[in-house]
Amino acid sequence: MTSWGYSISRPRSIDIDRNDMSYSKELLREYPELQTCIACGNCTAACTAANFTSFSLRKVHTLVRRGEYQGMAEELEKCMLCGKCRLACPRGINTRQIVLTIKKHLANRSR
Amino acid sequence: MEHFRLFVLPFYAGAIFLLITLLFKYIYWFVGLSREQKRLFWRSLPTRATWKSILEIINESLLHRKIWRTNPLLGYMHTSFALGWFLLITVGWIETYVYFKGEGVPLYVDIFFSYYVHPIFERAFNFSLIKDALLLLILIGVGLALFKRIRSRVMGMKRTTKHMLGDRIALTALWLIFPARLLAESLTSAEVWRFGGYVWTLSENTQLIPPGIGCGSFLTGSLGQWLANFLPARIIEAQHIELGAWWIYSIALGVFFIALPFSRYMHIFTEMPLIFLRNAGLRASEKETTYDRFQIDACSRCGICIDPCQLQSGADIQGVQAVYFLRDRRYGRLTDAVADNCLMCGRCQQACPVGIEQNTLRLNSRAKRAYPDAPNRYAYIQGKDPSTGEGKVGYFAGCMTLLTPRILLAMEQIFAAAHETVWWADKNGGVCCGRPLKLAGEVDAARKMMNFNKELFQKHGITTLVTSCPICLKVFKEDYQLEGIEVLHHSEYIQRLLAEGRLHLHAGSETFTYHDPCELGRGGGIYDAPREVIAALGILKEPAETREHALCCGSSIANTAIDDEGQRRISGQVATALAATGATSIVTACPLCKKGIAREATIPVYDLAEIVARAI
Ligand code: SF4
Ligand code: SF4
Ligand code: SF4
Ligand code: SF4
Ligand code: SF4
Repeated sequence: MTSWGYSISRPRSIDIDRNDMSYSKELLREYPELQTCIACGNCTAACTAANFTSFSLRKVHTLVRRGEYQGMAEELEKCMLCGKCRLACPRGINTRQIVLTIKKHLANRSR
Repeated sequence: MEHFRLFVLPFYAGAIFLLITLLFKYIYWFVGLSREQKRLFWRSLPTRATWKSILEIINESLLHRKIWRTNPLLGYMHTSFALGWFLLITVGWIETYVYFKGEGVPLYVDIFFSYYVHPIFERAFNFSLIKDALLLLILIGVGLALFKRIRSRVMGMKRTTKHMLGDRIALTALWLIFPARLLAESLTSAEVWRFGGYVWTLSENTQLIPPGIGCGSFLTGSLGQWLANFLPARIIEAQHIELGAWWIYSIALGVFFIALPFSRYMHIFTEMPLIFLRNAGLRASEKETTYDRFQIDACSRCGICIDPCQLQSGADIQGVQAVYFLRDRRYGRLTDAVADNCLMCGRCQQACPVGIEQNTLRLNSRAKRAYPDAPNRYAYIQGKDPSTGEGKVGYFAGCMTLLTPRILLAMEQIFAAAHETVWWADKNGGVCCGRPLKLAGEVDAARKMMNFNKELFQKHGITTLVTSCPICLKVFKEDYQLEGIEVLHHSEYIQRLLAEGRLHLHAGSETFTYHDPCELGRGGGIYDAPREVIAALGILKEPAETREHALCCGSSIANTAIDDEGQRRISGQVATALAATGATSIVTACPLCKKGIAREATIPVYDLAEIVARAI
């Protein structure tokens, strides 16, 4: 086969085919509103926890939806559940409940 | 044993079972109380608390005075069952005692007195008359209860509780008891009318009653007379239907007693120990205790808490209200969906005639399922100090005020006008007060934030802490234990500035209506301070439901389950009610309420601080 000299940079690739989408699907079934997320990042901009640390809710729920769960439970532990993100979200997504649900699920999963 | 009849057995079986079950439950729960809780109880016994409890039991368990206040017909229904039955039993005891001159007779003679003893039908004041009158009182109550099933609105209730099978069995038995008793006593009377009877006395000379006189009084006696004429003599003589009626009465009693501990009727007895424990100072806490069991089983599922719940009236969310929450928790089938779907607005608690601590119970249900808290959680806030400025007065904006910068700006103007030097705890972003986390059940994690903020307050040596968020206010007052620091809501602080003459406002003729935030009003008992401040600025128009009965904005941080649509519908409900006052703008004293109501309001919504700052 001809080698074109291009290759995929592994660390940068997102291979959705290889990700485990089972929980992602379940989450979206439970909270279909999350599909309306426009990734605007308001939730992260408003975030109380993000004032002190690099925590980003947008990043977490985007990764989870993509089937990448590693480290997400620990990341969500940083959330203070203050609810600012919910008030800031232009799509009216119940972000606090999303935090709680993902945490609950990932905790059960690692048991 | 010559008077023993088989039909008394179901009653006995039920009564013994009931007694054992009740004792077992109450002792088990009492033993499970913490040492401190038990100490409180024992200590309260020789004090006035005991008299208070006895009085309260008469007022609430027997007379149901609080339900009368909700609706007189509903009150009558509850009182007729409780007081009527209680008196019926008491009069029965006295009658037996008088009749047998204090001699001991088997319990069944007392319970089934009219079967054994036939006091002559006289048109005079006697025990039979009292008992018939009481029976009539209860039968009217049964009629009303049936009527309530069909048309609850007449009793001031739009919605009634949906009951479970166990409740239905107990309910059917309960409703059957009194008509069965009427029938049984009347049939016995019929027999005496027709064939005469005897008056059973302890002495030898048993009196005989000739036919045509009958026994009982205006109810059982008259019905007996009618039955005596109506039924064929053959049937009366055979006694089958008479005995049958007594069997039904006894079985109804037995079934009711056996079903009682598993049904809502457990409240009849449980309210009494609850009143004693509550007056001794026991309270539910953020972690479950067996004291909660007394509260949960004291719920009669009367359903009075359903109508005030805006999840139901505003957002059409059913099955999560206090009554259903308590039911599910009692039978161990509480789901997250029910535990989480509550605004903790306290409207149900306000209406509940039993005074059950709905919010705390809901909270400790949530806390129970929380995962153990990782020790390094929130390590990232350690050693941080986001505060600015210096002063004896500290101001804590809280997450919600930071999202509504106009309130923050208004507070800055007010502080400047009053020449107050202020320490700003979190002007540039701070750590959450911890209440949202606590309300979600993560009680231990919330402690970390509370400790962080508390240390910060102490480090900067403030003596007064002002906050514009009632949610923060509540947690500062209830969980922080800030010795030496006075905690004030900004409404109280502004009121004080006005009283001290440190702030001068230009009064106008604008009309305002005021929305009581739940956490400030029902949650904190602060109703007057914001009203006085508004009165200094313009004219205040109260909405229909106000103060203790105020509506919730629907955006409560306590409800993690409700979706955006539901929140909007509740906001719409309260916005409409507020606009109906005809005021030109809505004032509230909570940043979250402001945001919530403003979403649906047609007139402008301000925080108290904003209208004050405008008038400086
Ligand atoms: S604010 Fe809402 S829409 Fe924007 S990224 Fe966050 S969840 Fe998505
Ligand atoms: S609830 Fe959590 S994610 Fe949302 S703003 Fe607060 S700290 Fe950030
Ligand atoms: S919680 Fe109170 S108001 Fe609601 S059903 Fe129970 S006793 Fe009645
Ligand atoms: S606290 Fe409010 S939302 Fe919750 S059940 Fe009671 S009335 Fe309904
Ligand atoms: S936001 Fe206001 S009205 Fe709504 S729950 Fe909180 S205090 Fe009550």
